[in-house]
Amino acid sequence: MEFYFEKVNTSLDKKIVADDMLLTKGIPTTAGSRMLDGYVSLFEAEVLTRLTNAGYGLCGKASVGELAIDLLGETSYKGACVDENGKILNPVAEIIKSGDAMAGICLDANGYVRRAAAQYGLVSVKPTYGTVSRFGMIPVACSGDCVSVMAESASACRDILDAMAGHDDKDGTSLPESKCALLKKSAPVVEIKRVAVITDMLCCDDTVNSAVNSLVAKLEADGIKVDRIENDLIKKSRNAWNILMSAELCNNVSRYDGVKYGYRSNNFTSIDELYTNSRTEAFGDFLKAAILFGSDTLSTENYMRVYDKALRVRRLICEEFGKLFKEYDAVLMPACSAMAYSIDAVRANKDMPYTENLYTAPASITGLPAVAFEGVQLICNYFNETSLLALCEKLEKEGK
Amino acid sequence: MDKDTLRRLELLNQLSLTEEQKSEMYSFFDRRENDLSELSSIDTENTERMVHVLPILTVVREDKIVQNFDRESLQAGAPETDEGYWCVPRVVE
Repeated sequence: MEFYFEKVNTSLDKKIVADDMLLTKGIPTTAGSRMLDGYVSLFEAEVLTRLTNAGYGLCGKASVGELAIDLLGETSYKGACVDENGKILNPVAEIIKSGDAMAGICLDANGYVRRAAAQYGLVSVKPTYGTVSRFGMIPVACSGDCVSVMAESASACRDILDAMAGHDDKDGTSLPESKCALLKKSAPVVEIKRVAVITDMLCCDDTVNSAVNSLVAKLEADGIKVDRIENDLIKKSRNAWNILMSAELCNNVSRYDGVKYGYRSNNFTSIDELYTNSRTEAFGDFLKAAILFGSDTLSTENYMRVYDKALRVRRLICEEFGKLFKEYDAVLMPACSAMAYSIDAVRANKDMPYTENLYTAPASITGLPAVAFEGVQLICNYFNETSLLALCEKLEKEGK
Repeated sequence: MDKDTLRRLELLNQLSLTEEQKSEMYSFFDRRENDLSELSSIDTENTERMVHVLPILTVVREDKIVQNFDRESLQAGAPETDEGYWCVPRVVE
């Protein structure tokens, strides 16, 4: 069982691990897919350049599930990491827990970073969409993909966010510097005074419910007013996100054809066979299902009924959060249904990444920032993530 | 999802499924249809589509070279090349 996809020597103290969705110059990048086996990028992800310039040293690349759309990394072509009891392990979280790295830099495409952080008792932050460059990330669902940080503490997340946020001309979806600057440590922090718990999202097991109740108690003890509210629309983010994510994914993986780089089948007599056999042999079952579903949503027959509908629902969900943030500073919900996943259960229910993202899809589809902390997730308004992290830092200090 | 539609999707996406995978795919699509039925109950008639969550406009840049790689580097990861070209099976007889 290997958590590292590649190890890198660094003499720097501030060691970080990148997941295998980030391009690294001279070091292989596969996105967990056989299709990119042997691929070495000619340039590195902008975030890694910024972190290197800020004194962080890359100590390695962690294995990731194929295109990072699974639960914790179990669909990697190198095989799932599981313990002796069949519990799925997440490579980035394991490397941080072992003390090898102080933080992980990962692509949150379908929520794996938040799920892993919650299950390992780590902190993660998925920043506001557009504040951290996506240049040099393997694209999955471009309208929701966010470079995220996972670390032992909220203060480490804040430090790293400070170093990597900023406008990047090389990323067409990068926000202006004036907006990105709101994520810097020097930016003013808003006090979190009211938090909403969406009861419709509490369909999880006792361990997760207990984590929710525990954090609620801490917030209330700190003088923060916590209301339990109902909201059926936000719960439907998953349904819309699965459509948008799959459609974008289907387009993004169309570039992998076995011609210019990566895997090529040995079994072909024509150009069509080269394409088809290379893709068929290299892609895993779950990715194939996601590609076909995404392609179907974009078909002439389904475009309006499915894809267009999901885009409209996205707006309604954004507006719904907008209404909530007029009254509340943050929304609290689980990040996962259970504090561990069994590989047997996941193999028996191959749809799990499409159902378990019930909790992570709301922040993915809206581009809102989300912080996983003490086993649960807090979502706040755009550009307020440093305020959330500041609250988490305060709670960390009080807990010591 | 019917047999013909699945075959069309396979062709469009350059994939070839085994019979077992096809059988799983029918169930997978049925479950996605259930997901969609939950969205159908949401009234979106007067709601605009939202492609980008933030007001991001198409970026227009000056047409100048900012990064360049030599052909050898670009082809270093290719499965098969010959004299600076990528090799594929004969397309035109």
